[in-house]
Amino acid sequence: MDLLLNGRRVSATPAGDATLLDLLRDSLGLTGTKRVCDGGACGACTVHLDGRPVYSCLTLAHGCDGREVRTIEGLTPHPLQEAFASEDAAQCGFCTPGQLMAAASLLASNPDPSDSEIVAAMSGNLCRCGTYPKIVRAVRRAAAALRGSV
Amino acid sequence: MNDEKLTTKNTKGGGEGDGSSTPTRFVTTTVEVEGRTETRVVEMPAFALEPWGVDAALTHVGSRALRVDALVKASGRPGYTTDVRRPHQVDACIVRARVARGRVVSIDTSAALALPGVLDVLLAADAPARTKLFASEITYYGQPLAAVCAESAEIAERAAALVVVQVEKLRHSSTVAQAIAADAEPVRPGLTNNLLFKEPRTNARGDVTAGLAAADVTVTREIRTPCVLHTALEPHSAVAEWDGDHLTVWESTQGIFRVRDNLAKNLGVPLTNVRVICEAMGGGFGAKNYAASHTYIAALFAKRLGRAVSCVVDRAGEQVDTGNRPSSVQRITMGATKEGILTAIDLVAEVPLGIGGWEGGPGEIYHELYACPNVRTHETFAFVNSAAMAAFRAPGHAEGAVGLEMGINALAEALKMDPLELRRRNIATHDQKKNRPYTGNRLSECYDVGAQRFGWSAWGSPAQQVTKRAEDAREIPGNPRLVPGKPHLRRGVGVAAQIWSTGGGPPSYASVRLNSDGSADVLAGSQDLGTGTRTILAQVAAEALGHKLESVRAIIGDTGATPYAGNSWGSMTVASLTPAVRMAAVDARNALLDAASGLLNAPKESLDTHNGRVMVRDTDRSMSFGEITAKLGQVMIQGHGSRGPNPQDAGIVTTGAQFAEVEVDIETGVVRVVKIVAVHDAGRIVNPTLAESQLEGGIIQGLGFALFEERMLDTRMGLPLNVGLHDYKIPTLADIPVIDGHFLDGADVQANHVGARGIAEPAIVPTAPAIAGAVADALGVAVLELPLTPWRVLAALSKRR
Repeated sequence: MDLLLNGRRVSATPAGDATLLDLLRDSLGLTGTKRVCDGGACGACTVHLDGRPVYSCLTLAHGCDGREVRTIEGLTPHPLQEAFASEDAAQCGFCTPGQLMAAASLLASNPDPSDSEIVAAMSGNLCRCGTYPKIVRAVRRAAAALRGSV
Repeated sequence: MNDEKLTTKNTKGGGEGDGSSTPTRFVTTTVEVEGRTETRVVEMPAFALEPWGVDAALTHVGSRALRVDALVKASGRPGYTTDVRRPHQVDACIVRARVARGRVVSIDTSAALALPGVLDVLLAADAPARTKLFASEITYYGQPLAAVCAESAEIAERAAALVVVQVEKLRHSSTVAQAIAADAEPVRPGLTNNLLFKEPRTNARGDVTAGLAAADVTVTREIRTPCVLHTALEPHSAVAEWDGDHLTVWESTQGIFRVRDNLAKNLGVPLTNVRVICEAMGGGFGAKNYAASHTYIAALFAKRLGRAVSCVVDRAGEQVDTGNRPSSVQRITMGATKEGILTAIDLVAEVPLGIGGWEGGPGEIYHELYACPNVRTHETFAFVNSAAMAAFRAPGHAEGAVGLEMGINALAEALKMDPLELRRRNIATHDQKKNRPYTGNRLSECYDVGAQRFGWSAWGSPAQQVTKRAEDAREIPGNPRLVPGKPHLRRGVGVAAQIWSTGGGPPSYASVRLNSDGSADVLAGSQDLGTGTRTILAQVAAEALGHKLESVRAIIGDTGATPYAGNSWGSMTVASLTPAVRMAAVDARNALLDAASGLLNAPKESLDTHNGRVMVRDTDRSMSFGEITAKLGQVMIQGHGSRGPNPQDAGIVTTGAQFAEVEVDIETGVVRVVKIVAVHDAGRIVNPTLAESQLEGGIIQGLGFALFEERMLDTRMGLPLNVGLHDYKIPTLADIPVIDGHFLDGADVQANHVGARGIAEPAIVPTAPAIAGAVADALGVAVLELPLTPWRVLAALSKRR
């Protein structure tokens, strides 16, 4: 199978039951995407598939044949990263790649989200350190930066 | 603040070396760790430093410097153990017990070994006895019984499922009642009964019976708190690699040096041959303090196969076998005079520890938080057939505060007194357990500042009389507990306090070295759990050197590169390590000034440092650190620092108060937290932004403890029922209230010369009781069992009706 991964064409031969998360982390060595619950409960493995956010742990690798996948490694640089740093929105940082991918997807479709829209878009991404208040501020900050730059 | 006064070979410091006329290099001191007091040997620092007082002019310490690794984290590139990929690395998976108690009759690994890609299996006979791996007596669900290693994690997982374990089931005990029943069998081999210390623990001062007799009002309640799980998002994990007889282990840990000790001792390898690395970690919260089964499994497979081996605990394993905060039943009786002065506190508690554990129980805070001459706690710690408890953010205090604070609320109700006022009248003026003063306890100010930020006075007296029925409530306008136009909603407010020993202590060491370009490295054997250790060590070193923050880097998380520091537990890191870092930086600066004195042709006493330059006071002559070190060639300026003893004549605590506002739907029973205001006193705050982040984090974990989290155990079968993140509910973004987290300005100059105390664990302690108090205020009836799920709320309401 082939996929367009972070802008580059990549060929892979995953096992039939391999998930996109298995493919990214274990075969392709892209470890920025995190495995936490491995069952669609936490959002840590969020990536973009054809521009939409998906849980890569619930996405079969073979279902991605010929499609475009973007991971945290392909997001860089993004104003969200600067905003997360400035607002201290990452403590241990383990959930952060998934948070960033979810937030990037939100901002791509909604450049000026309200707080309740941020909550609706991001509440599928768990954080155990308790960065939530700062994540909301970071997303607002990045949204303002993005709007200012266009 | 760069005119450090150096005195040599100070022997004063409060240790047992005090009073001796000859310099004593090694003395003993006491250190509070997770509620336990330990006596330790400490090496006296080679010189003493004047404390940074509350008014010290500091540039970096106290600044809101950005977390130094924030951008790395926001790019997905920190070196977590689960992301380590060594050449030819393979993966191990653990085979776990599926019964609560039993005996392994046989293990058949033939099908697993026949699976293509499987490399090896590990059984009890293959493991050194000291690792305690794979006992044949099963004592809890999830206990490791064997392990499989394969070319990939997927194959290893599949192979583990093919291992056939034949088990003879034995009768288990899941509850304290089962474990202490007359006919109970020992829950694990070697126990004469199922109690820790063989009997309940009673701690008492004064005369509780006389105290209750002297009370004008007494209250009795039975309060229950749930078993909750740490749920760090990065699972326990290790990667092991041998080079001859040298072992390197990457481990997601709160204590690299302790893991190194565990590995060396239990594998029979010299300490010098073991190196433990933790570059970044995805949370611990108390569950990652030692080498554990996954660590030994990775190391043993790696030795047998001659390849790097990763062992990552899967989520189900993480939720069943890596520790928990045990549940508690707290039966309290408390008495007070009509003026609201406590006369007696009596606690009878039961704690099912799991198959192992220690006395981190609810009782301690009953002796500490309030001034009371008569206190008795009687705690039964029972071993049961479920996974062992582990320290979880303020172990004991977080659950004890729920019972104690709900008792105080009940007294306030009986006295018809504002619960905040009752708390103010009973603040502990000194350490009543050890009969000594505190270095500081500004709880009264925390109450004042918190009440003001929260707007406590606007809520008036409790609303018990107005909330029996929606129809009645509508008839009492202007009560802030009612929501206009929404008769199904009630609002309420609660307050709770905390106290926790946060003095840290020795031994902890640090080195500071200046590179030939003038940049500085801080080396310390600590680790950054997400707390910001890397950042605050750099801030303290930059301060003491007079350097630019961006020119200082902290090297931590590698036993092969750093001097010893202790585990990051007990809210100890800042108070333990920053004095050693400051001292090392002062030592290095002193050497730098020796060099600069000649180069600038000025006496050393006339020199000062600021912003990476050495300046001659009252002149315009100066040199940058880099210009000086370049002149020195390959001479390396180094400084060494160590943490001195704790003061022995005073207790060191962080105190604080939290205020909660909730909204309860009395038709559905759903509780929503609207606002939390937290005000804590932790001495000097090295970085307010990072401190606030940790405070918010503790509050959010406390909110989960109050409303959602509960490890369910089927006591008939002894099996955990909610082992995944779908069923074990932690807070999400949608659950988060407005949080106003605030620290009082200050510096605890008695505690240590940086003036800082710990902040991480105190943050969680008052949250759940404040929320529970607010729910009781909203409903007019207290819900006495956490978490405050809708059905418990409705049950309490219907009981009231």
